[in-house]
Amino acid sequence: MRRFGRQCRGHGKVFVKLVRETEQQLLEVGQQVLPLAQAAQEHLDGKTPMPREVQRRLAAQLTDAMESHQRVAKQSRRLTQGKKLAHYKIVNAYDGTIAPICKGKSNCPAQFGKKPGLIAEMASGFTFALHLPVGNPADASYVLPLVDKVQHAIAQVSDRRKPVIHSLAGDLALNDAALRATLHGRGILTVGIPRTIEPLTPSPTQAEVHHILQEAGLHRQRTPHQVHLACACGYSRPVVESFIENLLCRGAAHIRYKGHRGALVHMGMTVMAHNAATLVRIELNQLSKRAQKLRRLLGLKPSNINQYKVKKN
Amino acid sequence: MRLLRHLQHWLTGRGPQICVGDFVPEAHPLRQWADTFPWAALVAAVDRSVAQRFPTKTTRGRAPIATRVLLALELLKHELSCSDEQICSRLRTDLAVMYACGITEVQVERVQGHFVLPEVLAQFRGRLDEVLMEELLSLQATAALEAGLVSPAHLVVDTFPSEQGSQRVNDAATLYKAKKKSSRSSRTSLPRARRRPRR
Repeated sequence: MRRFGRQCRGHGKVFVKLVRETEQQLLEVGQQVLPLAQAAQEHLDGKTPMPREVQRRLAAQLTDAMESHQRVAKQSRRLTQGKKLAHYKIVNAYDGTIAPICKGKSNCPAQFGKKPGLIAEMASGFTFALHLPVGNPADASYVLPLVDKVQHAIAQVSDRRKPVIHSLAGDLALNDAALRATLHGRGILTVGIPRTIEPLTPSPTQAEVHHILQEAGLHRQRTPHQVHLACACGYSRPVVESFIENLLCRGAAHIRYKGHRGALVHMGMTVMAHNAATLVRIELNQLSKRAQKLRRLLGLKPSNINQYKVKKN
Repeated sequence: MRLLRHLQHWLTGRGPQICVGDFVPEAHPLRQWADTFPWAALVAAVDRSVAQRFPTKTTRGRAPIATRVLLALELLKHELSCSDEQICSRLRTDLAVMYACGITEVQVERVQGHFVLPEVLAQFRGRLDEVLMEELLSLQATAALEAGLVSPAHLVVDTFPSEQGSQRVNDAATLYKAKKKSSRSSRTSLPRARRRPRR
């Protein structure tokens, strides 16, 4: 819940009346500004001698400003339609993109903030992409933008034999039939995404592997070995989630910069710093036994030089 | 004159010269950390984006601080959990930070207070946008894939909540302080200039 003032100065209270009054003031100011903004936009679209880049930038800023007013107005109407006020429907005029996070906290009111989504390698936790949407949408909506970003990074690889995404793991929030179908269409296995709260099978039988491949329609694209690895990854997912802990240690839990762009810069820089540290750990072989085993199965781990025995003669 | 050009501080001095690369041990964590980044590609991407969005109309004035230094400082800030002022201060005294910022040689000068001001770092951060951040992350991932260190075969997607943290010293406050500092220094320098005899 949005609090006023610092928490160290006593228990914060939400003054709903004050929020509504502030909202009304903002809307009144916005009503005067809106016609001016529209006039400015018409002027900008007209015959103004201005470079195209500058014109585009100014138009984007103007549209953004107009949208922020509309967002406040929309949320305000929701509050005043006679419905019971939900405690998280409070307008934050300073950061329109901020949203209540109802996840991660079970013993206290919902807090305001952002919900970044990450796509990372199972073994080491190297993060390939970051997605930070406006508001707090469903977790399933994160998947496709993230997969697109990874495929963009893969497309930039200069090697002739480009790597491919075989499988995707996630939590129960990603269990969506449409999403599964889309991923299968792209040749990605979804056995790592659970359907129920029951734990996944770490080592499926031959019949189960056949069923998984048939269900996904990937008989010719994916091999049984890849299905076995995907199942193992899905089963081990809660164990290898420590990359989020690493990010939290680097200050990802509290966004210090202002606004949506600030949050993106903060999260992006944190992820890049974390990735560099992960690469150092990979190069120095300072990974867990489980991660080392998975990397060996993926053909990423070099041969163990300690096991190389030179003939004594 | 723009702030980025105005607050340029040179890495020159009159003291002995130190070769930073020779001084920082190869096993130093910051050296290893910095060596993993594809700096050339990252700097080129930032320069291209900034030149496109903020075109410079004149080539007059001092040369700006290298993008490599500012980008590395921003990354180091998150790696070492420092504030703008702390990381800029460490750049002046910590040779490992200098190495991470791509400074190969430094001329000792005791009088010099800093290399980069926090205000300049705040202004650089203001120029980073969503598209550029995505590109930087993509470049890092591509470099890791090309090196064969990671594989995208089996991936995991997850989300986590992140609160809007308090920012005691924000960018606006830093810039405000810089303006105040510069006006104060100009006020103090004026009487001195008047006192100086004309030749």
